[in-house]
Amino acid sequence: MADKFISERNLKFLINEVFDAPSLLQFPRYSHHTPEVFDMVIDTAMKMGRDLLKPSFEEMDKNPPRFEAGAVKVHPSVKRLMKECGEGGWISAVASLEVGGQQLPFTVGLIPTFVFSAANYSASNYPGLNMGAAHLIESFGSQEQKDTYIPLLFSGAWQGTMALTEPQAGSSVGDITTTASPTDKDYYLIRGQKIFISAADHDCVDNVVNLMLARIEGAPPGLKGISLFIVPKKRFDNDGNLVPNDLAILGIYHKMGYRGCPITQLSLGDNGDCRGWLVGEPNRGLYYMLQMMNEARLVVGMNAAAIASAAYYACLQYTRERPQGRPITSKDPSAPQIPIIEHADIKRMLLFQRAVIEGSLGLLFQCTVYSDLMLAHEGDEREKYSLLLDLLTPVAKTYPAEMAIHSVSQALQCLGGYGYCDEFPIEQHYRDTRIHPIHEGTTGIQALTLLGRNVVMKNGKALTLFLDEVEGAIKKAGARPELAAHAAQLKKAVEKLKEVIGHLVGIATGGNIDLFLADATLFMEFFGVIAVAWQWLLQALAAQSALAKGASPSDEDFYTGKMYAFRYFFAYELPKTEGMAQRLLTIDDLTLSMKPDYFSD
Amino acid sequence: MNSAVILKQVPDTEALIKVKPDGTGIVKEGVKFVINPYDEFGVEEALKKKEAAGSGEVTIVSIGPDRSVESIRTALAMGADKGVLLKIGEDEYSDALATAKALAEELKGKDYKIIFCGKQAIDDDMAQIGPMVAELMGLPCVTVVTKVDVSGDKAVCSREIEGGKEIVEVALPAVISCQKGLNEPRYASLPGIMKAKKKPLDIKDTKLDAPKATIDKWENPPQRAAGRIIEGDDAAAKAAALVKALRQEAKVI
Repeated sequence: MADKFISERNLKFLINEVFDAPSLLQFPRYSHHTPEVFDMVIDTAMKMGRDLLKPSFEEMDKNPPRFEAGAVKVHPSVKRLMKECGEGGWISAVASLEVGGQQLPFTVGLIPTFVFSAANYSASNYPGLNMGAAHLIESFGSQEQKDTYIPLLFSGAWQGTMALTEPQAGSSVGDITTTASPTDKDYYLIRGQKIFISAADHDCVDNVVNLMLARIEGAPPGLKGISLFIVPKKRFDNDGNLVPNDLAILGIYHKMGYRGCPITQLSLGDNGDCRGWLVGEPNRGLYYMLQMMNEARLVVGMNAAAIASAAYYACLQYTRERPQGRPITSKDPSAPQIPIIEHADIKRMLLFQRAVIEGSLGLLFQCTVYSDLMLAHEGDEREKYSLLLDLLTPVAKTYPAEMAIHSVSQALQCLGGYGYCDEFPIEQHYRDTRIHPIHEGTTGIQALTLLGRNVVMKNGKALTLFLDEVEGAIKKAGARPELAAHAAQLKKAVEKLKEVIGHLVGIATGGNIDLFLADATLFMEFFGVIAVAWQWLLQALAAQSALAKGASPSDEDFYTGKMYAFRYFFAYELPKTEGMAQRLLTIDDLTLSMKPDYFSD
Repeated sequence: MNSAVILKQVPDTEALIKVKPDGTGIVKEGVKFVINPYDEFGVEEALKKKEAAGSGEVTIVSIGPDRSVESIRTALAMGADKGVLLKIGEDEYSDALATAKALAEELKGKDYKIIFCGKQAIDDDMAQIGPMVAELMGLPCVTVVTKVDVSGDKAVCSREIEGGKEIVEVALPAVISCQKGLNEPRYASLPGIMKAKKKPLDIKDTKLDAPKATIDKWENPPQRAAGRIIEGDDAAAKAAALVKALRQEAKVI
């Protein structure tokens, strides 16, 4: 079992036994697929992850991209990866049939992303970025834009990017200043700077197409004046040749982790000739981008869970092989040492990792299922799934992003001093995963979105739908003797959640919005644990059903292990919400009243 | 150019193999099965030759239990045109000769210019099927091949031999057994996966002849003994102890 990095068994458990992905095939949108297609997608993704991405995992970290003579050079394996992902149809997997995609359900189409990012997170990003860029053009671009760019992004010949951030505008995207001046042709002239743009230049593709936010001259200030443009690095001239588009790469940043993929700084229109093509309507750019960002946020959650998974399997193998110490009650110093996996504290750390990884994956697949059901329905049903997806997306990004850091940290801890050294892969996983609470909207931004917008939107309709879903699971679990106590425990936590929301909304209706949102991040943490507990209850229900039916010996180990990880979550993680609730129910403006001056030392 | 590929489904190279306590075989429950890696070179080469010729069909022929269908489908997803499974029971066993006879029976009378197979299957490592099928069909056979150039009714093959390579010219049709280095097998593409389910896959119930060679028992290789650290007060004492151990215990000096 050398170098295992994900559990195929667990993936199949989640998509088949917990979420019944084959039932999606009843909808016309997905009826051209079969369950065998799903299995072969997983098989092929595993093979590509193992043979194509994993071999360069360490090398890409040790030899990061270089910036030479105004251009970025990356690891040569990226070229083959883009080609294989393009030719193999993996970039276009979830795209609609009309634009040349395979229209796979997101639930299955996202599995290669999970597998690839567990094998080599940096590498997985190159094709992943194309999926997002192409989808944005598919959703909002003109027919001509679709015909021009989508095939080149799907084939992997070109690189796609998302260009939002500017030196003075990160989380505060309303403050971007890159400008677009109309011309009498079909394009705008773009001028400004962008930073931290992943893969905006490299030598393994023929060209780069940036999906860029900019402000049309005279547009209203703030979020309402932002438009979306296609700004390629090289543009087609009248003869169909690629010529430079006055887009200069100023440099790349040297990062803590995720070092195999460059983040660049761009200067646009230094010579007044950087052309950008408007996507959709003027001033609708942020709305368009948020559609894409919501998908990208689920991808980030997947990436975080994937890195934690790779670290877990590296750690698991080590704990089985490393002899150290003797049973605590053993008095004989000459007795042979035992593998560390036999120590209770090591098992605690392993269970913690499983609780985080498998719980996160549950929540992520729950969101992809909502997304798939949303696209398969119309009317009220569509709205229902859309609201559930909207509500949970920031949670499904943030819980894995934040908790993967702790999970990988525990993996590293199991290896002791070796974990801290680069002879083992875990220190790299630890560095790689640290980006996730930062990019695609920081944890702080996600928390404001959850509490300030999603929980209260449409008079709390999304929240009500969510509570119905959770209470449905509680009811089912409550009917099974072996899960009844856990169901009751989650019910109590959900009551607390309602109480906390009532309390916070009360503060908001009282007019103190600053206080309402001051602990939004703590609220996110609180909400996240409860949402993941719900997912664990669903997994426990599926595991219990399988055990009740009678499982083969290896399956019995799997389901029993699953039940232990479930019990761990309810015993060690869910109770933490009690402390959080205590704080969230206290009216105290501690952070608001703390003045910058008091941080004098 | 029409060709066939003999394909066997084997346990994944990364699977942890356990021998059944009674020694009658391996525990298959929970084991992942894949295309024998050497057969995969055969699939890739057949596809390449078809693409170079611009026409023709690649047929996958396998013997095995029901689950072998998955591996045939994978080959179809890579681009092969049709598949045949000679279906036997999960624990039905016969020897290489009986297996080769059933395969030859299926392959004969068709218009295959080349029959590709792996140089051996990685599960039982017998390396007999290719040459036996060739013999039964009256065809020439080139084994352990790392390069195939087809021109007209002959092929020039490179084979690995000790310290170098041997260039062999062979009249077609022929059986060619594939070695690592022949090519790099492609991944199944997603459109390929979707097409695979519509490609013809013929499942034929098959009864193998009784084996002439039977397997008496399966057992694990003996556990390797633990190493020993030579103790001693100083380097000289340790060296003396080491020499003594090498001479008297290991008897190597």
